[in-house]
Amino acid sequence: MLALWIGIAAALAAPQEAAVESAVHERLLVAAESSDQVFELSFDGEDLVIEHVLEVGYQATEIEGPHGLTVAPDGRHWYLSMAHGKPNGLLYKYETGTNRLVGEAELGLFPATMQISPDTGFLYCVNFDLHGDMTPSSVSVVDVEGMVEIDQIVTGSMPHGSRLSPDGSRHFSCAMMSDELIEVDAVTMEVARRLLLTDGTELPTGGAGHAMETGEGGEEVAPARAAVSKPTWVQPHPTRRVAYVALNGAHQVVEVDLDTWTIARRFPTGRAPYNLDVTADGERLVITYKGAQSVGVIDLASGEEVARIPTSRRIPHGVVLTPDSSFAFITCEDKGATPGSVDAIDLRSLKRVSSVDVGLQAGGIALFPRSARPYFER
Amino acid sequence: MQALHCLLAGFGLFVPIAASNASPTAFQEASKLESQEAEPTRTLQVEPSELTLEVGESAKISAQALGADGSPEDAELMFFSRSRRELTVGREDGVVTGLKPGTYEVIIRERRNEAGENQEGRAGVNARLSGTVQVTVKALPLERIEMIVPAAGLWAGTSAMFEAMGVDAEGGIREELRPSWTSSDPAVASFDSYGELTLHAPGTFTATVEAEGKTARRELTVEANPIERIEIVSDLAAPRTGDVIHLEISAYDAAGALVPAVPVDVSFRARTDDTLGAGASGQIEPIPGAPRGWRFVAEQPGRYTFVATSGDTVGRTTVAATARDVQGKFTFVGHAPVRDTHTSDLWVWEGTDGRDYAVTGTWGANGDAHFWDVTDPANMVRIATVNIDARTVNDVKVSADGKTCVLSREGASNRKNGIVIVDVTDPRNPEVRSGFDDELTGGVHNVFIDDGKVYALSAGARYDAIDISDPVAPTRVGSYKVDAPSPSIHDVWVEDGLAYSSNWSDGVHIVDVGNGMAGGSPSNPVKVSSYAYPSGWNHAAFPFRQESGRFYVAAGDEAFPLGLNLTGKPTYPRGWIHFIDFTDLENPRENARYQVPEAGTHNIWVDGDVMYVAYYNAGLRAVDVSGELMGNLYDQGREIAWYLPDDPEGYISNAPMAWGPQPHKGHVFFSDWNSGLWAMKLER
Repeated sequence: MLALWIGIAAALAAPQEAAVESAVHERLLVAAESSDQVFELSFDGEDLVIEHVLEVGYQATEIEGPHGLTVAPDGRHWYLSMAHGKPNGLLYKYETGTNRLVGEAELGLFPATMQISPDTGFLYCVNFDLHGDMTPSSVSVVDVEGMVEIDQIVTGSMPHGSRLSPDGSRHFSCAMMSDELIEVDAVTMEVARRLLLTDGTELPTGGAGHAMETGEGGEEVAPARAAVSKPTWVQPHPTRRVAYVALNGAHQVVEVDLDTWTIARRFPTGRAPYNLDVTADGERLVITYKGAQSVGVIDLASGEEVARIPTSRRIPHGVVLTPDSSFAFITCEDKGATPGSVDAIDLRSLKRVSSVDVGLQAGGIALFPRSARPYFER
Repeated sequence: MQALHCLLAGFGLFVPIAASNASPTAFQEASKLESQEAEPTRTLQVEPSELTLEVGESAKISAQALGADGSPEDAELMFFSRSRRELTVGREDGVVTGLKPGTYEVIIRERRNEAGENQEGRAGVNARLSGTVQVTVKALPLERIEMIVPAAGLWAGTSAMFEAMGVDAEGGIREELRPSWTSSDPAVASFDSYGELTLHAPGTFTATVEAEGKTARRELTVEANPIERIEIVSDLAAPRTGDVIHLEISAYDAAGALVPAVPVDVSFRARTDDTLGAGASGQIEPIPGAPRGWRFVAEQPGRYTFVATSGDTVGRTTVAATARDVQGKFTFVGHAPVRDTHTSDLWVWEGTDGRDYAVTGTWGANGDAHFWDVTDPANMVRIATVNIDARTVNDVKVSADGKTCVLSREGASNRKNGIVIVDVTDPRNPEVRSGFDDELTGGVHNVFIDDGKVYALSAGARYDAIDISDPVAPTRVGSYKVDAPSPSIHDVWVEDGLAYSSNWSDGVHIVDVGNGMAGGSPSNPVKVSSYAYPSGWNHAAFPFRQESGRFYVAAGDEAFPLGLNLTGKPTYPRGWIHFIDFTDLENPRENARYQVPEAGTHNIWVDGDVMYVAYYNAGLRAVDVSGELMGNLYDQGREIAWYLPDDPEGYISNAPMAWGPQPHKGHVFFSDWNSGLWAMKLER
């Protein structure tokens, strides 16, 4: 395997050759939320292989819940959010290749999905906070150089699906229990726009009828509503000014026009769409159907579901796609002591080509970018 | 480049900062890969290079990117601080406002938002133009300094501790003060650098304390020490090791009159029976609130001579301590193995049919709870298993009437977790009656049942009282959350209408949930008292009252500084039991511990004068907790018995990991993480 990676590193010097190789040689990370483990896997185009298993957390006999994973754009480090702490969750920073823990920062309640902005260099992580009353939670902004939370932006109830615009200047998340799509200016760290996803109504960025005690900045935010559509993920399109939002409770995905800030299209989906990703070529949308043990592939031009592919285990959760739009990697949580799994789906044949069992409740997933590959040699 | 920095900084001009001079952190760790990067040639001008502000004052930091040729570039910059509670920073305009005294950094970083770049192709943070400005927010000037003189007076031949307090212009107390102390006549009295004054001879002198240009002076007099005779009376003539001896000191003047005001120090000299390199022999300390009272505990048998001194006067007395002689043993009775998964907590109860039953949870597994007939502890039989949607059933409890069992749930597939209520009227056929997860979504780690209410942890931050009088329709009636920033809770136990919660760094909280002493109820919990200790390891609490009226809470730690091994090899936790004297609820005091070396505690049960501890890798322990407690009980011969639950076929082979003990009808049952349920007999 080492020889293989050395070969890939050498191939990086020749971009045309590397493009061919990179389509089928991937490294990815998967978090097992109920066994406090992170799995590092490789994929050679045919088989998923577990390369390393990392035990994570500090409260040994409690389930701390590793949930979100992301890799820095330069590939040098990867990051893991831990849902449960005392009581706030943590963000861990690991060195790519060695998987050595090099930093940590305390965030909010149940930090979940996250991404690093190539614009600011900051990491934006939603504090999912599914605990207790459905009060507005926040997005933590972390300076990953110093591993310090530099701001918490109050957004909505149970924020999830933390994703950035391709240029990194805008952050999007869903408020699952107030049915909102929320856009944040990544530099000023202020809420820029809100969209009520149940009917496509734009909401004021501040209070929606009455003031509330909220974050340290004294911001006013919209009160929690009775959730109908329960949005769980937002994924900006790689090239067009639109974003896709999974409406887990409405069994739909909506396309939001980011210029007009309106819902442009609605796609019916399988039961309980959860996570999304758009192929790098911008042509297809891949969706995990949490309630249908399958993955849907939608052709974005026609809006038609072109395939529904069964997953190896129940409760599919996360999805990431290779940069060449050839493969999708899916995590499946399953239940109880049944292990979670990772599936590799060939997006050309639209078939599952490999599966591997990992730890309990596999959820978070991240793909190492090509820039990370040399670090596996150290 | 370095020379240029110094030159420009010296003239107060713009300070160019190259990208390679970004803060040296993990991003600059040695790496062959990083060394291959091209030497950056662009620079960042920042003004000013340093900034000093008053609290509430604002100033603007300006920054400009320069190209390799020194010409200005149109690069977008942003400003931020890692000290958001101490500074505010305008992220686009660089306006900084000081909030709290101290020295901080404002970081200026180049944005990378060029259109058309993909994320992967962009440089990391360390390759960007970046710079820092040190910002000092000045503390408010000290307005005055006050000298705090000990109230006991100054007597030749003794010493006294002085303190200083700084007050700023707004009346605030300065948190950090570095005073210097001087005496005008060191022959009469002299200070050390910590403010302790040694009183050499009668006379007068001036004590001076100074800090930040502010000075306080006091004219003081050292009185002649009138003490001519000291007597020591011990309340125990023949103590055992571990018994707390109270010493009453009486000091008299030449006329035979008591001298109550002059300080007397007490120490001891030991002549232990074991002279072969033995360790510490005893411990002595003053009794708070008793000016002439001291207490002592012997760890080893031997003679102890107490020495009381004041000035040139000395008093002595000697007692002989004998071995405590409480040692017994645990006799193995039965083992009901669980070898296919880890076992968590247990509860043992008498069923409605008069037979005895136990329930055990499972950890990191399939969500099973096992039910056992333990009427014959030598032949414990698994009679049923209930499976719920969970990965860990960490805690199990049964109501006093033996009819209702509550299972905690963690790792549910829908993440709602909560609790599950099981009818165990017939433990051979347990029936799930309901689940309750409203506001318990974070995973319930521990529960307790008392008087028709379940006390269940919610989100690791509070506990809720849930009425289960109708087990099919539980309802929340109240909750209690520690009033502290980001409170975190681990366990709750209820006895006599008082809830004892264990809250990690916030320690033990005692709350009236129906006792009446503070007017509390399950729907209106009222805090009675609390005590926290510095390690922040508080994991469990068990209250016990002695016949003397003394009221202790045994507070257990949980810590895994060496990690937890899920498979293959043993785990080596750490921690001990803290004994907190809550007799005076307004002034709880931690007086004693039970600490087994190289091991870590888990759950506790006190029955009469015996404390049972599931001491993880140190197995099951029984400890004599009779009488007043002081020092480390482990060193005093108070340990009665221990048992290591080795199981060659355990989930981890021969790796004792005792989880929870419970005495029941003359036996001691305990669960072990690696091997299941055990029954022992304590022989004394």
